[in-house]
Amino acid sequence: MKLLKPSWVSHNGKPIFSVDIHPDGTKFATGGQGEDSGKVVIWNMAPVLREEDEKNMNIPKMLCQMDNHLACVNCVRWSNTGLYLASGGDDKLVMVWKRAAFIGPSTVFGSSSKLANVEQWRCVTILRNHTGDVMDVAWSPHDVWLASCSVDNTIVIWNARKFPEIVASLKGHTGLVKGLTWDPVGKYIASQADDHSLKVWRTMDWQQETNITKPFNECGGTTHVLRLSWSPDGQYLVSAHAMNNSGPTAQIIERDGWKTNMDFVGHRKAVTVVKFNPKIFKKKQRNGSSPKPSCPYCCCAVGSKDRSLSVWLTSLKRPLVVIHDLFDKSIMDISWTLNGLGILVCSMDGTVAYLNFSQDELGDPLNEDEKNAIHQNIYGKSLAITTEAQLSTTIIENPEMLKYQQERQRVEQANHRMTHEAQAHKLTSVVNGESLEDIRKNLLKKQVETRTADGRRRITPLCIAQLDTGILLPLSSVSGATAQASSLNTTATKSNLLLTTSTKMEPMKALDSRFTERSKVMPGVTISMVSMEPPVYLEVENEVSAVSGAKLSQLRCSREGREWDTLLPSRVLTAAGSSDVVAVACADRMLSVFSACGRRLLPAILLPAPMSALHCSGFYVMALTACATLSVWDVQKQSAVVKNESLQTILSGTECTVSQSLLTQQGVPVIGLSNGKSYCFNSSLETWNLIADKQDSLVQCADFKNCISSQDAPVSQGPLALTQGHNLNAGRLASRLSSTPHHLQHGMTLVFLENQLASALTLRSSTEYHYWLLIYARFLVTEGSDYRLRELCKDLLGPVHKSASSAWEPTTLGLRKRDLLRELLPVIGQNLRFQRLFTEYQDQLELLGNK
Amino acid sequence: MAKVQVLNVAVLDNPSRFGNPFQFEITFECMEDLPEDLEWKIIYVGSAESEEYDQTLDSVLVGPVPAGRHMFVFQADAPNTGLIPESDAVGVTVALITCTYRGQEFIRIGYYVNNEYTDPELRENPPIKPDYGQLQRNILASNPRVTRFHINWEGCAEKMEDSENVDPAPNSMLPPSCLPGKAPPIGLLPDNSMDCL
Repeated sequence: MKLLKPSWVSHNGKPIFSVDIHPDGTKFATGGQGEDSGKVVIWNMAPVLREEDEKNMNIPKMLCQMDNHLACVNCVRWSNTGLYLASGGDDKLVMVWKRAAFIGPSTVFGSSSKLANVEQWRCVTILRNHTGDVMDVAWSPHDVWLASCSVDNTIVIWNARKFPEIVASLKGHTGLVKGLTWDPVGKYIASQADDHSLKVWRTMDWQQETNITKPFNECGGTTHVLRLSWSPDGQYLVSAHAMNNSGPTAQIIERDGWKTNMDFVGHRKAVTVVKFNPKIFKKKQRNGSSPKPSCPYCCCAVGSKDRSLSVWLTSLKRPLVVIHDLFDKSIMDISWTLNGLGILVCSMDGTVAYLNFSQDELGDPLNEDEKNAIHQNIYGKSLAITTEAQLSTTIIENPEMLKYQQERQRVEQANHRMTHEAQAHKLTSVVNGESLEDIRKNLLKKQVETRTADGRRRITPLCIAQLDTGILLPLSSVSGATAQASSLNTTATKSNLLLTTSTKMEPMKALDSRFTERSKVMPGVTISMVSMEPPVYLEVENEVSAVSGAKLSQLRCSREGREWDTLLPSRVLTAAGSSDVVAVACADRMLSVFSACGRRLLPAILLPAPMSALHCSGFYVMALTACATLSVWDVQKQSAVVKNESLQTILSGTECTVSQSLLTQQGVPVIGLSNGKSYCFNSSLETWNLIADKQDSLVQCADFKNCISSQDAPVSQGPLALTQGHNLNAGRLASRLSSTPHHLQHGMTLVFLENQLASALTLRSSTEYHYWLLIYARFLVTEGSDYRLRELCKDLLGPVHKSASSAWEPTTLGLRKRDLLRELLPVIGQNLRFQRLFTEYQDQLELLGNK
Repeated sequence: MAKVQVLNVAVLDNPSRFGNPFQFEITFECMEDLPEDLEWKIIYVGSAESEEYDQTLDSVLVGPVPAGRHMFVFQADAPNTGLIPESDAVGVTVALITCTYRGQEFIRIGYYVNNEYTDPELRENPPIKPDYGQLQRNILASNPRVTRFHINWEGCAEKMEDSENVDPAPNSMLPPSCLPGKAPPIGLLPDNSMDCL
């Protein structure tokens, strides 16, 4: 056995509460206390394993550090696949991290290179449910679930395939729950708490299987953690702190009948952590000796508050090795390498120790086949548990259905492959066929800048990469980094020039404070230019010249380099334009409308009151007057869409004011009020329709994230998105409300999605309608809402036989309904439950297509 | 934790004439969809001596910001020369980019800016009244100074329902240097600022 204490693994002397080795053995994570926050650090394993790597300055030791936890991190655990890292801390949160593979090594902006993260790990999910410190987290076999336990006395089982969905909340402990372990067969999960009990729960129904108290009766709640462990063959569960004849022990609990006849004795203080070696061993075959069949055995490491570590083999009565005084303070966590020969131990004293065993010492590890054979032998099944067993045995009746199911699998595999490629940094620096360089060149021209109601500039940023997917928009952060590097190079040379030519470039202390102090509120500056959709600029100059006493105003418009100007007889109050028209409202209540090239399209319109807000969109002009009336005209058809409609309806009974107004491309006026509600005027029904309500709790509780396909770009440009802009966070509360019954949340989501669909329809925004329709359909499909889905399909299909009496329109918002249905079919095809529905509509569509 | 991380700021059109607009290409990443807009500001420090001469060149709302990585160019007009003390026109000063969310500043990016005459003659004998037409502005783009502040991202309205995520004592998170006008001594920067030169 070799022992090493790598001094460079430290949290600057702060305690390290948890350590876990990545399944591929190349790195490990530590969790603990940071400067003024919790801290998770990912370290390179190579410098621990090999001295020459430790000395090689080119091999990084620290790969990434994350100080996102607000308080001490108690536990870090890699998923079995190694793709994710889960961390739990005193801030009551569980964070799940994923490597952002497409970001190459880069420095933190504005920091010195010392802090550079070699690997980028990004928090992909924050799991909020616990009301107290999270003490331990554990991934189930095959990463189906993630369990976390807390001082709030509960254990939460999260759906690891659908974060942040909660599968179950296990209640029953009456004390702080300080340790968790999954049965390797996947049938149970065990927890140990300060309430002098160890409980085993069934994963089938999440009910308690057994409650073991006897060995813990004498225990006090003196340990920070109680990390128990299940043996890899599933036969034994070993607890942390237990007592036997007033001596601290680690209790061995047999799976068969939950008997507690044996324990590990010898530690002088409470056992904090037990960790089984992932391998099952058999005796080393010595040359010469006859190969006699020996019983396979397990290996287990035990750490204690007495600062010592013991390693046991289940075939030996005495410990294999005991190491005293390894640390100055209690041992907090232990992690084995996957090959079963190495072990990392961390301590409250802020240090880590690495132990390396030889096969001579531990024995020959069984390979996976042999291990599976043991499981097969004992449990009648191998570890390959299936989660959707029932569904996978359903017979697929329809060949098309089979196609979609297979396609889905292919896509999943492809995604998987892409992930791998992404990790290999083989991505090209192209987004939607455009390189980052091209985007950057034209960013200023391309970015959408609007004015808010109070005249402030508002820029819609260009989304260059989406999170979570990590693969869809590979926006080559690699190239981003290089581009950044190159630009830095050039600036560096320039700044050198600057430094040589400048004599005053001394650090100016008087200026330093400006960097670090928060600014006070300062009055914004006024800008004289009115800018709208990117390429059109309107400039108004009042009182340019006085001709025989009358003051003239000038309107200048420039569009893609072409300019025109015109004169107006009165002061201009407001101006607006679209790609087709430009409208100007003057102080004398006159509204003038010009074509894109400056031709006057209408004689001046006399308004009933001065203009309050003016919008143009396409050939539509919208006027909101100071006496709260709204008009919309179609300049092309020379007709009124909305005629002097009073806002009384939506303003009455409230104290609110109009905070936003806009006109959609289709000429639908939208009024946003200061109370967060937005209405549009439906000219065919002549009604005001509510399309957004910020106070609507349904919006915030709706949880449809899973129904957003990564293929559809989020719609952020449509009128619905614009009015609801501040509500984009639909479902923000969903994660926190996960404790609400599923059917309630399901209902909320349904209501929200149907609202969105109806609003998009009223706003005549076809892209948004299309977007929400797909999400709605996916939601119905995943949630199995049979009737709604059927009705939706029926409406889209329409009557199969033409009849004069039917009022069915074949298109909606310019989209052909049957094309929409065709688009929905693959979605429906993904749930085997709907295969009859799928077949039915597919056949009918085919029939119609043939006609 | 901070929901918005600034990944990079590229200084465009630099160096350039004093009267040209400032252009910063800002790349940032957002953890989750932001319900409110971000507000970005460019502040030009007119004089090292007093904050009185600070000019907000422009402020702009940026939104909607869904989760993901985004970029935009923030362009703002050059400072109003009438507000700059004549003695401070030439030489080194500072330009700041700040970003606030729900009225709370969470990041401040500072650049040294050197204004000098390109003409050697003028450099030797600068006119008493600054000739802004001849001045060149050079932003020391390679050396941004970034200060991050802890803020309450959930805002006040949600305090009740989100109590588990609110810092126990938000006020204690404010940097001690919040008092205006006092420069922290070198080496005594606030603990929570990731500042480095």
